[in-house]
Amino acid sequence: MATAPSTFEPGPDSFVATDTYEVGERMSAWEDTWRRLRRNKLALVGMAIIVILVITAIVSSFWTPYDVWRQSLGPTYQGPTGKHPFGLDDSGRDILSRLMGGAQVSMVVGVGTATLSSIIGIMLGLLAGFYRGWVDTLVSLLINVFYGLPDLLIVLLIVAVTQQRGLGNIILAISLTAWLGMARLVRGQTLSLREREFVEAARSVGTRDRWILVRHIFPNALGPIIVQATFVIPAAILFEAFLSYLGFGVKPPTPSWGAMASDGFRSLQYAPHIILIPAAALCITLMAFNFMGDGLRDALDPRMRR
Amino acid sequence: MVNKGETLGIVGESGCGKSVTALSVLRLIPEPGRIVSGHIWFKDRDVASYSREELREYRGNDVSMIFQDPMTSLNPVLRVGFQIKEAMVAHERFDNKTADERVVPMLQKVRISDPKERAKNYPHQFSGGMRQRAMIAMGLSNEPDLLIADEPTTALDVTVQAQIIELLRDLNRDMGTAVVLITHNLAVVASLCTRVIVMYAGRIVESGPTRQIFNSPQHPYTWSLLQSIPRIDSTQHDKLLTIAGLPPDLSNPPPGCLFHPRCRFRVDRCSKEEPPLEEVGPEQAARCWVLMKNALAGAEPVR
Repeated sequence: MATAPSTFEPGPDSFVATDTYEVGERMSAWEDTWRRLRRNKLALVGMAIIVILVITAIVSSFWTPYDVWRQSLGPTYQGPTGKHPFGLDDSGRDILSRLMGGAQVSMVVGVGTATLSSIIGIMLGLLAGFYRGWVDTLVSLLINVFYGLPDLLIVLLIVAVTQQRGLGNIILAISLTAWLGMARLVRGQTLSLREREFVEAARSVGTRDRWILVRHIFPNALGPIIVQATFVIPAAILFEAFLSYLGFGVKPPTPSWGAMASDGFRSLQYAPHIILIPAAALCITLMAFNFMGDGLRDALDPRMRR
Repeated sequence: MVNKGETLGIVGESGCGKSVTALSVLRLIPEPGRIVSGHIWFKDRDVASYSREELREYRGNDVSMIFQDPMTSLNPVLRVGFQIKEAMVAHERFDNKTADERVVPMLQKVRISDPKERAKNYPHQFSGGMRQRAMIAMGLSNEPDLLIADEPTTALDVTVQAQIIELLRDLNRDMGTAVVLITHNLAVVASLCTRVIVMYAGRIVESGPTRQIFNSPQHPYTWSLLQSIPRIDSTQHDKLLTIAGLPPDLSNPPPGCLFHPRCRFRVDRCSKEEPPLEEVGPEQAARCWVLMKNALAGAEPVR
């Protein structure tokens, strides 16, 4: 007599299951961060604006509606028209074109400064936090000295001493004031990470110091580093605009939002669009970066989640 | 202290200097601690006199260590396989490619299922037991002569503890790596170790072959430790023995024998002179004026 097939029969096979066991869907740390960032609407808006800015900056390097330097004698101070949606400035130059060119300067300065100051800050911070002792004393002293000096003074000195006003020079100048925050942050992170057990474990198998720094400590501090770097970008853009406004920025006729605002300031009463448009562009850019920075900070630090 | 291929157990209460001893062997004592005096002999050379680079080569290659808490001993942002490979690449013994090829067999050796896939995982995808296995794989990847296991099972649950201990025993047998096991767990010592060192307040108070230590402990501290374990053959009304008090404050140690304030067999001499570590039987040594064979022969101790 045939027995009904039993639905549950733990045969010898039931223990082999581990071989075919599927590990749950994998999600890398970056996917996870992206998933959390996506939920933050403000950060998304900021990112969208930044993407538009980057595209504008790239486009402006080979095409703008009019040449950024082309002046016309007649229609100076002209308000917005169909042909010139943002109007013309005091020299009769198309503001839209100059705005696009200015976006390029801002982006290059922002990203350049963030990169250069991060490199300086990360290296000094890692060394100070890891080796402590006299290295730390020296780096901390350097940070405090630079902290005490007014940023503007440092930048003006560098611009004055080098007698150059190229983009590279301005990036270098602003970076020399912007690395402090990064160095402090990385030093603090390193001080805490170097006591972690995985560092001790790495040491117990004979790992070299520089390897520990690069492969163990740096990646674990990457989250805060990215956030800090994101906040350096708007600060650098603002600083560049400020310098240009004072006349220490990139050499005219290279368009810069700060220089444009400076041009418009004199005609504020009868042609306000000349100052308002670059100022608005600056505001929107700064906010976009700050929103994205905030979003990244929340997304990269799961412990801070509400 | 440790012979080739031997398993040595170090036992004692919390704060008796077991971990510090282990860290000293690797010269990994956290600041501001340092080795004030004494020597660490490894193959006839004093580790205490090693230069930085010699030290780095020595760690991992000659002696390596696994830590108490596998949850924090692996770097969370690096793949497990990479971390094991890293341990090998740190020394010139294996080139990049050989090291790569050795990762999977190492994971297999510590009995991680599906080692090929698992090597690509991050530590958070591992369970506690698997992480400790990965740590062991890391420690053994350079085939060191000595593996120091500092309470390797404390952070794990009991079933996994047994697996890890079994693994250590098999690896010790198959690879000939000497093991120093630091633990509170006397049962683990009894099942794994050939020799035992009992530490109290930073000093060795008794050492000898496991069987002998368990059968006839000579130092009252060892005796008390053994008495404080519940036994399956004890009757219902037998009370477990406890050792009253805590290990002494080592910045202000008691005079004489460090254990005497807590010792139930103490004599006058104990509070005046510190006893030396003396031979008390074949391969067995104890640091005591009284010794258990004399104490138990006399009157039953006061409870």
